[in-house]
Amino acid sequence: MIARWRRLLLLLPWRRRAAEQDMQDELQSLAELDDLADRRELGNLTLAAEDARAQWGVTWLDDIGNDVRHAVRGLRRHPGFTATVVTSLAIGIGASTALFTLIDAVSGRLLPVADPQRLVALAQQYETRTEQGFTYQQFQRLNEQLTGMTLAGYSHQQFAVSVTGGTELPVEGELVSGSYFPLLGIHAIRGRLLQPEDDRPGGGNPVAVISDAWWAERFARDPNIVGRVLRIGNTPFTIVGITPPGFFGVEVGTAPRVFVPLTTQPLVMTANENLIESPIQFLTWVRVLGAIDPPASSGQVRGQLDAIIRSQDWQPPDKNGRRPHTTGVLMNVSTGRSELGAKFSTTFMVLTVVVGIVLAIACANTANLALARAAVRRPEFALRLALGARPWRIIRQVTVESLVLAAAAGAGGVALSYVATRALVLFASAGQSAITLELTPDMRILAFATIVSTVAGLAFGLAPAIRASRASARDNPLQDIGTTRHRIGAPGPARIFLIVQVALSVTLLAGTGVFVASLRNLLRQADGIAAREQVLTVRVAPRGSDQRNTPGTSERLDRLYRGLQEEVSQMAGVKAVSMSSVSPLSPLTLGGPVDFNGAKVVVRIMMVYPSYFGALGLTITSGRDLDARDNDPAAPPVAVVNRAYVRRMLGGVDPIASGATIPAFTSRGPAGTIAPQPIAIVGVVADSPYPNLRQESEPVIYRTFLQTRTGRGQMVLHVRTHGDPSSVARQVRALVQNVDPTTPSFAVVSLADEVSATLIRERLMAMFATVFSGVVIVLIAVGLYGLTAFGVARRTPEIGLRLALGATGWDVYQLVIRHAAQVMAIGVVTGTLVSWAAMRLATSRLGDVLFGVRADDPAAFAAAAIALLLVAMAASLVPARRAMRIEPISALRKE
Amino acid sequence: MRPSYQDSLHIEYRYTSMEPLHGVLDMLVLRTLLFGPLHGYGIAGAIRDGSGEAVQIEFGSLYPSLKRLEIQGWIAGTWEISERNRRVKVYRLTPAGRKQLRQETSQWTAFVEGVGRLLKAPGKESA
Repeated sequence: MIARWRRLLLLLPWRRRAAEQDMQDELQSLAELDDLADRRELGNLTLAAEDARAQWGVTWLDDIGNDVRHAVRGLRRHPGFTATVVTSLAIGIGASTALFTLIDAVSGRLLPVADPQRLVALAQQYETRTEQGFTYQQFQRLNEQLTGMTLAGYSHQQFAVSVTGGTELPVEGELVSGSYFPLLGIHAIRGRLLQPEDDRPGGGNPVAVISDAWWAERFARDPNIVGRVLRIGNTPFTIVGITPPGFFGVEVGTAPRVFVPLTTQPLVMTANENLIESPIQFLTWVRVLGAIDPPASSGQVRGQLDAIIRSQDWQPPDKNGRRPHTTGVLMNVSTGRSELGAKFSTTFMVLTVVVGIVLAIACANTANLALARAAVRRPEFALRLALGARPWRIIRQVTVESLVLAAAAGAGGVALSYVATRALVLFASAGQSAITLELTPDMRILAFATIVSTVAGLAFGLAPAIRASRASARDNPLQDIGTTRHRIGAPGPARIFLIVQVALSVTLLAGTGVFVASLRNLLRQADGIAAREQVLTVRVAPRGSDQRNTPGTSERLDRLYRGLQEEVSQMAGVKAVSMSSVSPLSPLTLGGPVDFNGAKVVVRIMMVYPSYFGALGLTITSGRDLDARDNDPAAPPVAVVNRAYVRRMLGGVDPIASGATIPAFTSRGPAGTIAPQPIAIVGVVADSPYPNLRQESEPVIYRTFLQTRTGRGQMVLHVRTHGDPSSVARQVRALVQNVDPTTPSFAVVSLADEVSATLIRERLMAMFATVFSGVVIVLIAVGLYGLTAFGVARRTPEIGLRLALGATGWDVYQLVIRHAAQVMAIGVVTGTLVSWAAMRLATSRLGDVLFGVRADDPAAFAAAAIALLLVAMAASLVPARRAMRIEPISALRKE
Repeated sequence: MRPSYQDSLHIEYRYTSMEPLHGVLDMLVLRTLLFGPLHGYGIAGAIRDGSGEAVQIEFGSLYPSLKRLEIQGWIAGTWEISERNRRVKVYRLTPAGRKQLRQETSQWTAFVEGVGRLLKAPGKESA
């Protein structure tokens, strides 16, 4: 036992060196001994040292070590082979590791908190949807009435933070209850975290805790950070502490930089009313976490929760005096809460299949190359078998060689995935709020990469190994390759591997075709003004804009908005300016389902300023645009409707001609969104392709700001520019910021970017599939080239003989290309049949990510097959031409 | 004895000496060190002298045995200064080595006695 341990220790290079030095010293000292009669009496010291060294070895480990060294030497002698294999495998392993990292980061990692398994999130289940939030008053009630559970509330928001006193971009932050950090078991790395005393109702302490990342990024790790003051929504907050590195709360994908007490809401969420004391609206802005305190069980707690949220005064009844049926939900959040998992689930599934195919093709490709190499080395193996090596030794050596290759590829793959995951997350965050994920490779990811590499290595190494061990000892080891005595034709398994590769690539290429077609269809659908021209948009949410029902606020906001549009329209490079209640890409809306002829029809209501249609490039097909006179509550109520409204609600009859009005709907939407008296329709406008690129437009009613009665007063500014929009963007940002420096200002983005952002999943899949199709085509080309070239090399004398006997170049061409053609034909046919069947089955699953094309689109399959055949022809052409030019005499001279 | 194949192309196996004799040699070394620490060459000499020159062991064959015993933890080597003011590595028996020696000695004695009984056993010689 001790001996084995010491031997293992001696495998450490420095211990080995020390032992070696010690031995040399000892032998030297003995040789110099004075009482030594004759130096020769000692015998051969070099041999003695050699034999002594053997005592240190762990035999099997040494053997493997020898195999590894031998493999590395052999691979170094064939840099072309090694580079091809390592690169193609590294791409396969890297892609799968990257995907695993992403899926793990989104839904696999435990939260970096004290006891993630204990955490649950509370929610309310309505008939058709799950409400994740609660009002502050509801949170308070749960705190009081839910015994057996410790609760914490938090709310993720954008904060208008100013460190220097100037205007700055909004910062991700969280309002958290005093119980939040204690519940999560998080301790400050500097100063202290928020405590229940900071979070008293009726005015929380203006203190803030910042994240480690923000401390590094914004304060350069200022050692005197505790006690510094920053302004949030124009109120000074004192920094009291820093959260540990890696802590991000419980919302996966977010990275809050500032944490403030929940009860400071009126100070930091200045666009909203005071949600702590006087809720006018039923705004469920607090998310609630809890941990069950033993001995209570989750069943008991759920029972209590149900009882509380079913009580009469839990929430106001709707306009019909009904109370919706709700139940309490407890969700396990040990790996965090995230909408990312749901949003990308189909994408992840598709990418998993793509990556699996790529890895399989890379393995098959490698197996092929390794087989060819084993065939070339047949004489070497035969010699060794003849000298008495057991077949097992040869198998082991070839397998070790495969594993060495796989290890190199694995290392490359991990490096590749490190870069790829970051690029993917950046890509997925484009045009939207940043997604921040923990992507550092941890043990799980390294273990995954190791397993994938090992399995791949064994998968592609097995066939060549077995084949090598079969090299017959009776083979003449000195027999050269390339004589007619050799068996003719490519090795059988190599052909099978190529067929598998071709079949798999049909699937991948056809899939790529489908995804690209779908994306193209969507982009064509989205090809409105937003995609073609530079329209900048920015949200404007001045103080009080969330409570425009307060007397005077509507008028104040209207003056402010008109002034802003006036100023922007004066800028150089601006073509048109307007505002609307939401971005045309936003699915949020005023309005809602209305009862129409006994059916429910969703009618959207947009508040717009004049010239909105001009700015967004929507043509007025009949009647007129809204103008400044309509933006007056005293003027007759008017609206513009879209063509979908005319189709669905008016039976296609032009309302300008017929004089149809918008009736006083019984609205189920937010109170007062539609006026009680009929509204005159003054114009009809073309349908906007947004926000539902995949569906027919919904009916939309456009109204002026002041004629619309709603509590919402935030607007979105649209600026259509010509030329480079960046300088306009800068000026617009400054202007919007000056509107109200205390509210968070939002980033200025272009509509085109927003369009791309809404198509992120489709673009990810199309991009991934396209890149990998390219890789796979190269691999196939290499494989076919190798197969044909190898055949030509082996058959050179035979071809020479045939030519000498009068065969034409065309005969030779056919002879040489026959194998490649067979492989392609079988591969393409089986691949098409199998993957077409698979895609048919997957059609329903892929329905929500594809648009205007089915997963089993015959055109995509035909294109894939044709592309592969072209690649095959090109790849085998070069060796075939070489075969046709063979000089009969020189070829036969080899015999 | 091991099979005599040699994996000639890349691995060289060398069998240090005849394996069955390893045990005997180890036992002799341990026994020699029972009387006090010695350096490597001294051990070879002591075995030669102690056996009345009947057992002649070349240092080259003895040395791997020392290394084997050292790694087993039965003997321990330390650098010391000899009487002639030379740095030499001196080996001494460890408690584990002492135990091992006792065990091997009794096994050897049993073996020799068994062989002796066999040789002395009365029996008819076939004609």
